[in-house]
Amino acid sequence: MTDYEIVIGLETHIQLNTTTKIFCSCKADSWFDPPNTNICPVCTGLPGVLPVLNQAVVEKGMLLAAAMHAEIQPVSYFDRKNYFYPDLPKGFQISQYDRSLARGGYLDLPMPSGYVRRVSIHKLHMEEDAGKTKNAGRERLIDFNRCGVPLVEMVTGPDLRSADEAAQYLIRLRQLLRWIGVSEADMEKGHLRCDANVSIRPRGADYLNPKTEIKNVNSIEAVRDAIEHEAARQIREVEAGNRIEAWTLEWDEDAGVLRKMRSKETEADYRYFREPDLLSLPITDEWKERVLAGLPELPLERRARFMQAYGLPEYDADILTGERNLSDYFEAAVQAYGGDPKRVSNWLMNDLLRMLNDTGRTADQLKVTPQYLAEILKLVDANTVNTSTGKALLAKVDQSGKAPRAIVEEEGLAQVSDDSAIRAVVQEVLNESPKEVESYRAGKVTLMGWFVGQVMKKMRGKADPSLARGILEELLGGG
Amino acid sequence: MELCDLSAYEIAQHVRSQKATAVQVLESCLERIQKVDGRPGALDAGELTAEDRLRVHAFITLTEERARAQAEEVDRKVAAGEDPGLLAGVPVSIKDIFCVQGTPSTAASRILANFVSPYTATSVARMEEQGALVLGKVNLDEFTYGSSNESSAFQPCPRNPWNLNHVVGGSSGGSAASVAAGEVALSLGTDTAGSIRQPAAFCGVVGLKPTYGRVSRYGLIAFGSSLDCPGPMARDVTDAAMMLQTIAGPDPKDATSATVPVPDYIEALEEGVQGLRIGLSPDYFRIAIPDARTGKYHTEPVPAEFEQAVLRAAQVLAEMGAEIIEDVPMPNARYGIPAYFVISRVEAASNLHRFDGVKYGYRTQRTPADLRDLYRKTRAEGFGLQPKLRILMGMYVSAAQYSEQYYQRALRVRTLIRRDFDQAFDPDGAVYVDALLTPTTPTPAFPLEAVYGDSVMMQYADQLTVPANHAGIPGVSLPGGLTAEGLPIGIQLLGPDFREDTLLRIGRAYEVATQDDPWRQEEPQSAHL
Repeated sequence: MTDYEIVIGLETHIQLNTTTKIFCSCKADSWFDPPNTNICPVCTGLPGVLPVLNQAVVEKGMLLAAAMHAEIQPVSYFDRKNYFYPDLPKGFQISQYDRSLARGGYLDLPMPSGYVRRVSIHKLHMEEDAGKTKNAGRERLIDFNRCGVPLVEMVTGPDLRSADEAAQYLIRLRQLLRWIGVSEADMEKGHLRCDANVSIRPRGADYLNPKTEIKNVNSIEAVRDAIEHEAARQIREVEAGNRIEAWTLEWDEDAGVLRKMRSKETEADYRYFREPDLLSLPITDEWKERVLAGLPELPLERRARFMQAYGLPEYDADILTGERNLSDYFEAAVQAYGGDPKRVSNWLMNDLLRMLNDTGRTADQLKVTPQYLAEILKLVDANTVNTSTGKALLAKVDQSGKAPRAIVEEEGLAQVSDDSAIRAVVQEVLNESPKEVESYRAGKVTLMGWFVGQVMKKMRGKADPSLARGILEELLGGG
Repeated sequence: MELCDLSAYEIAQHVRSQKATAVQVLESCLERIQKVDGRPGALDAGELTAEDRLRVHAFITLTEERARAQAEEVDRKVAAGEDPGLLAGVPVSIKDIFCVQGTPSTAASRILANFVSPYTATSVARMEEQGALVLGKVNLDEFTYGSSNESSAFQPCPRNPWNLNHVVGGSSGGSAASVAAGEVALSLGTDTAGSIRQPAAFCGVVGLKPTYGRVSRYGLIAFGSSLDCPGPMARDVTDAAMMLQTIAGPDPKDATSATVPVPDYIEALEEGVQGLRIGLSPDYFRIAIPDARTGKYHTEPVPAEFEQAVLRAAQVLAEMGAEIIEDVPMPNARYGIPAYFVISRVEAASNLHRFDGVKYGYRTQRTPADLRDLYRKTRAEGFGLQPKLRILMGMYVSAAQYSEQYYQRALRVRTLIRRDFDQAFDPDGAVYVDALLTPTTPTPAFPLEAVYGDSVMMQYADQLTVPANHAGIPGVSLPGGLTAEGLPIGIQLLGPDFREDTLLRIGRAYEVATQDDPWRQEEPQSAHL
């Protein structure tokens, strides 16, 4: 059997998280609103209305273009894409065609198995979303709320070579969109929608075979599954001597099957022409500079820097840069702490991430600020509290919002390092446990842990454990 | 003279000084409408009666209640010493291509016959803010597609007040007729290829097409979005200036509206023409018509009466101190109509997509088999001939395989036409003029039904007006005499971007100088009904 490789390109529609729609002042986000409540004459295409471009859309588009390393064009244009559909109230979509916001660009995907896949960006443009159509028996219901919600359409080159790479692209894209703050990128809510173009060819070939387009793959799992199914189908067809036809397929996520929507023998003619109701869109250097000044260090750059500057393992760096808040938190804590960054990473990854996951918050919402985390680490380092008290402090601070040091004082949590105080308690424990003392002295040295535990218990966890152990060893005379 | 025959300027004066109330003005206009307008345009109107042939039929919808409420408000303001606005008590009609909240906004098409707009066009709102009384919506060619108003789905279509057997022109025909017949003092029209200036010329009124972007298009049901301009129609230049003053200026709802400051048009009116350079172009004294079979152009001079009217105006202006520059070259003017055929139809076809029977307007009463069938039946029944022709042609010339050959080429022609004007208006150019003086149309108003049905010939009625739309520059048509048959002749002034003030000033000077001409004393036929 021939060894095949899969060739995949992804078309994504990214809903920008602006307050208002792209061409009118209706609220853009209607997730919690009933149908047809965030609408006006403009976005419902009444006769005589005109679009007015929302500047915030352009600025978010510019941020995204820059983050994709695309070249922002000094002048771009809007065009009309003409077609009939009930949820497209004007009978055309205002989009960008041959002179769009940005050109070129790429996204690097570090794959878990170690290599990096560079995915080229073929197309990046702004456009308006259409409404939603719902079939209810013999009726079609249309919700215009989504009409005019700003989108960036981004199309990759045929550069992805496996379902995993496709999934990884979406994971990295989603991370990036949230990171630069241009989209909530929630696939379930349709903020990030994806169509996949799939073809196969003998490994090593440099031509492209006819592709099929899979619509409606709206989760990362769905993308992976649908592509795997489709590639397997194409291989079966080709092996059986059949031709692959340029179908449009739909992924049924529940049934886990692909359905043919239509044959796509000829491209639809959308009769694109310049939108006469909008002027050209010039982007001056000043504007671009001002907007891009707000572009943060990108996740992959930060990931590399965390490994290099802080000596973090790739695993830690990847998790800590998974989300911008978390990575900001980490850096702020490292700064405030001044000690070993790996120690900060450990505490973050072991304890704080769990707190975040349990409560569904992001790092910036924690009451344990990076400064408080650093303070706790310092308290532990100075033996003012022991490690377990330190970890307990995390929860206390997060509940009260009080400074760790204040809680330590209020609750008397400071570790006792006073030799005579610990010595007195040790003596007490030994007096109360003659049998254990005897066993220990007879050679059962593993009882040491038990003795330390007893001392800690009496001192409500505040004893310096190593000091307690030293005194025990001394008084038990075993050492 | 009745109140309704006064100019807008005089009416506002009367109302402000309490010589007349706005309500009295309204009553006078309603009486005039009652007397001359006949039955309003309606769908499925049946045969024309003998009486229909003797009426103007400018209106589709009367908005008497709206006008009355406004008139009372104006009178209240005057009584209370508040500013009633520049157009205080001035009766106006609105071409039924503008959306006005709570009124049917039909575009003279069956497909929008039942559409009541939930919002008001910016230019209409601005007039009402300045105290204008909106008496109603007036007829036009369906979706503005025509030059005679005969294509309106609302019949009887308007008839020319100067000769009721002739067309009013179009597409702002109801506007021109309502102003000419004294039913209103002002009307809001639109001009895509001459749709303000040509009916103004046919009906003997002033029609101003402003610079593209000078007046907001918000609320204007679009035809050719890159060409459409709302503008004033009035009985004299001062009134046109007052109306432009009211409606001009940037609009946050129209991205193509210009932010250029609006000058004081009224103040500039009486400044005269001393030192102004006014051009005449041979390319505007003949029309070029392609032979349908060979595609070759043959040219015909405009009728002698028209040429004389323009030359007489030039002479009058020269006597007042203007310098007349002859032989201004406008070599690309003749391509205006073919380029317009292509560009306007591409935009029109796209603009008509929204009329699909889904959201508003007409929907087929027959049971559709599926969605596509709903579209087809609705659009087949809802659109008249003109929209259908334009959709067909627009879809054809914008198709991927033809776009380069037609649409892209037409856009290049448009650039050339613009260049003709840029060169003529360039202060450092070879021939520098402040304005160009031309006939508005190659013919007077033609008899009803004489040209209708010949789409190409109908379009060539716009040959002398359409270049201004391609170029985006302002143009005004002024009454310039009467033909031997007693039909109005229009003369046109074209100027550089945003120089409406210059055009109005020249127009006003011409008006003053010809005040006592015998033709100015003539009354339209409608005055004797």
